[in-house]
Amino acid sequence: MIAPLINGLMITLKHLFKKPITLQYPEEKPAVAPNFRGLHTLKVSHNNAKCVACYLCPTVCPAKCITVEAGEDANHDKFAAKYEIDMLRCIFCGYCVEACPVDALGMTQTFELANYTRADFVFTKERLLEKR
Amino acid sequence: MVNLTIDDKQVSVAPEATIYDAAKAVGIRIPILCHDKKLHPFGGCRMCLVEVEQMKGRLIPACTTPVSEGMIVRTMTDEIVKARKLVLELLLLKHPLDCPVCDAAGDCDLQNLTFEYKVEKNHFTDEKFRWEIDYENPLIERDQNRCIHCGKCSRICDEIVSFGAYSFVNRGIEAKIGTPFDEKLDCEYCGSCISVCPVGALLARPFKFKARWWALNKVKSVCSYCGTGCQLTLGVKDDKVLTTVYDEDQGFHNGQLCNRGRFGYQFINSEKRLKTPLIRKNGSLVPASWEEALSLVTAKISEQKSVDASTVAALVTPRLTNEELLLTKKFFNGVVGTDSIDHSAGYAHAALTEGLKESFGITASPSEITDIQKTNLLLVVKSDAYETHPVIGFEINLGVKRKGVDLRIVSDKSGKLTKLPDAKKYIHKPGAELLLVNALAKTIIDAGLADTAAAGFEELKSALATVSIAQAAASTGVSAELISSLAIDYAKAEKALILLPIGLGYPGHGKDLAQALANLAILTGKIGKEGCGILVMGEKNNSQGAADLGIYPSAGGRNAGAIIDGCASGAVKLLYIVGENPVVSYPDRAKTEKALDAVPFLVVQDLFLTETAQMADVVLPAKSFAEKCGTFTSVGRNVQRIRKAIKAVGQSRSDKEIFAELIAGISGAKVVTDAAELFKEIAATTQGYAGLEFDKLTDAGCVYPVALSPRLVPVNAAVPAAEEGKFALLTGSALYHCGTLSLFGEGPMLVCPEQYLELGRSDAAKLGIKDGDTVKVKSAAGELTLAAKVTVRMPEGVVFAPYHFEAASINRVAIGAPVTYVSISK
Repeated sequence: MIAPLINGLMITLKHLFKKPITLQYPEEKPAVAPNFRGLHTLKVSHNNAKCVACYLCPTVCPAKCITVEAGEDANHDKFAAKYEIDMLRCIFCGYCVEACPVDALGMTQTFELANYTRADFVFTKERLLEKR
Repeated sequence: MVNLTIDDKQVSVAPEATIYDAAKAVGIRIPILCHDKKLHPFGGCRMCLVEVEQMKGRLIPACTTPVSEGMIVRTMTDEIVKARKLVLELLLLKHPLDCPVCDAAGDCDLQNLTFEYKVEKNHFTDEKFRWEIDYENPLIERDQNRCIHCGKCSRICDEIVSFGAYSFVNRGIEAKIGTPFDEKLDCEYCGSCISVCPVGALLARPFKFKARWWALNKVKSVCSYCGTGCQLTLGVKDDKVLTTVYDEDQGFHNGQLCNRGRFGYQFINSEKRLKTPLIRKNGSLVPASWEEALSLVTAKISEQKSVDASTVAALVTPRLTNEELLLTKKFFNGVVGTDSIDHSAGYAHAALTEGLKESFGITASPSEITDIQKTNLLLVVKSDAYETHPVIGFEINLGVKRKGVDLRIVSDKSGKLTKLPDAKKYIHKPGAELLLVNALAKTIIDAGLADTAAAGFEELKSALATVSIAQAAASTGVSAELISSLAIDYAKAEKALILLPIGLGYPGHGKDLAQALANLAILTGKIGKEGCGILVMGEKNNSQGAADLGIYPSAGGRNAGAIIDGCASGAVKLLYIVGENPVVSYPDRAKTEKALDAVPFLVVQDLFLTETAQMADVVLPAKSFAEKCGTFTSVGRNVQRIRKAIKAVGQSRSDKEIFAELIAGISGAKVVTDAAELFKEIAATTQGYAGLEFDKLTDAGCVYPVALSPRLVPVNAAVPAAEEGKFALLTGSALYHCGTLSLFGEGPMLVCPEQYLELGRSDAAKLGIKDGDTVKVKSAAGELTLAAKVTVRMPEGVVFAPYHFEAASINRVAIGAPVTYVSISK
């Protein structure tokens, strides 16, 4: 009768001396795995977004959260005149990254996406561009 | 019939069929890249290789090999798959893998076949092409690097469009599709080449990068420009019509479109569309609510109605659907009680509503568009038939080139049709067509080739007794021999068809000319049979419907001309204009402007703030054809459905919704606006439409039957007296435009943006005018400064100007006569 009680308290007692599993967030931040699917980023090459506006990401997106509008630049090439991801709808499945034929889209380890208004969750091309 | 076996399936096909056709007939798909059902077999791509038991040892191209009795064909063996894979590998060796930025992706035959045959690696390596991409012309982007040399573009341009803008140039690896002298593409810009290109070598620039093919919602509808009634598929995304999508199985024309049909869709989502009703307050038009606008219109009409309903008049565009025309007619005839309702300036529908009505007892053409390819002799009045109805022009090209149709063109100028192989042209003096046709009838009667039992024969004979062929030859400028040979050939042809384009630009193509032509057909018994008769080609998408539904005065009301005069004289107190743009498109602009200025209350219901709408007291925004359901009736009496593709732009309402509200406001009666319900009423009350059902109208549409009661009607002909030292100004349609609607389409405006005056080389030389110079054109009605276009097709002393343009509108000079005499100076 008393044995299980002591066993239970033993576990509690052991944990008192172990390193805690919980984090004192936000003071402490978790170590994020390299393949974590966080905020998207538009990769940059030669000072330009690599994205060619092929529309494969909005096509594959199951949450329909990506809006792309292609434009024609001075060299008649295709570029994303508008690239927006609505993070409120995004389910972070990463299909968009997988679908990208030119490796223009990636997902970062940024997970702190809280904000104050709905509009702030719509990430425009400027906000998504890779920071260097 | 030939019997053969394909993949163990028994097939029985016509002897001229190929293996490809036979396989298609039993639902076996053979992959193709260079083959097109509309074109002659080419056999260039080798994708359609099949195995034939009797020809073992090599693979046989299915698209070029005719069937023979007892053939045993296999379409899918390991060897065939290997051969097809090799073909694809060789194509992909040079074809760039830029599918992510290629607009053809998703609709690309090469991409689809590569996926289907799992071509994942290539046995070969080579550099890609580095041809310069053609961005010179405004509508067609030509990227030779993507070209797979199927030759479809050059073949369709040659065989169907009959323009010949492309052909293969160079040899071997250097071979490419070139333009004459490798210069900038300068063609009709119909875009047929884009539609058949199996890859992304030819792309529509207005649609470039706008959306991916798979993201487009495809809505089948009918073109809203000319009366041909071409079916088209609208590519819609996010409630915007972004393009027209090619569908080779649509309509008699197999999905072929002209420049305005393919590239002129931008008016639908144009920035210039009216978004709200406008009311004139303190001299300027200000946005208003529908309630305010409609109550004002209702009050004004009620007020006029209580005084004298005949002071209310309406001009209605034949671009509305049949259902809307029905409600329009109901509103003005029934509710308001005025018979002064008309369309197309009154004269542009007279050939049908007055001419054919007397000659045949119907207000429609007795023939269909499909008769063009079935006839033996085709008599086209005015080479402009190609410009007014370009896709009917394609049918003429096909008839002449494939079926050996004997083409005769009676015209006041040359044109594209006169250049067709073996086409015989009869260039007459301006305005002399009627006399020429009468001379033809006279010749037929004199030669004893006429059906003397035809109703009205004696009257016609005595009326034509005064016509002398020699005199007619002198006045028309066509020699007596030519007149008699044309008449005899026409009479002796087993089947003969007459084409007559009508429209606002052709005041001479009215009642008399239609009757004179009908006389020819009746005299020689060329009616009521396949490939025979007369096809009067209404200008607008629903011109035939407007004639069928009686959008013209029938009980002594004012016609369009009288309405304009009535406005000026004060007899018309309230003018309601639905979609028409009389300021620009009606003859004598100064007169029209004065009349619209004078009318006390002007209501305009339109898509845009046109020159006419700018003069209005109330402007109501209407919906375009892409925002509503209904039916259009085309030239050949084909009743076809249009389908709603997008939501209303702004606060616009369809014309039937507006009229339903007005009817409710004035009479209190509630009317349905459902297209199917309204169509029921049309079927019950309109000649020919009996038995048609809205929901049973198939994709092909339905040609309603006509019962003819032919009667010869004598027509008096006089050639307008030429004025010494002056030029004969002819108005008409430009190839790229239709009415004034195409001014809001991007494609037409990119290739034909402004008013011009076309004159012949010798006249230009005499006046010292070069192409592009500005010239002064002066008539009794007014004066204009226009850009000159020097061409080879205009006879001496004759100039031509299209009537579509707002700025420097030729109707400031033209007065609505078949010929306006003008003086031209530098």
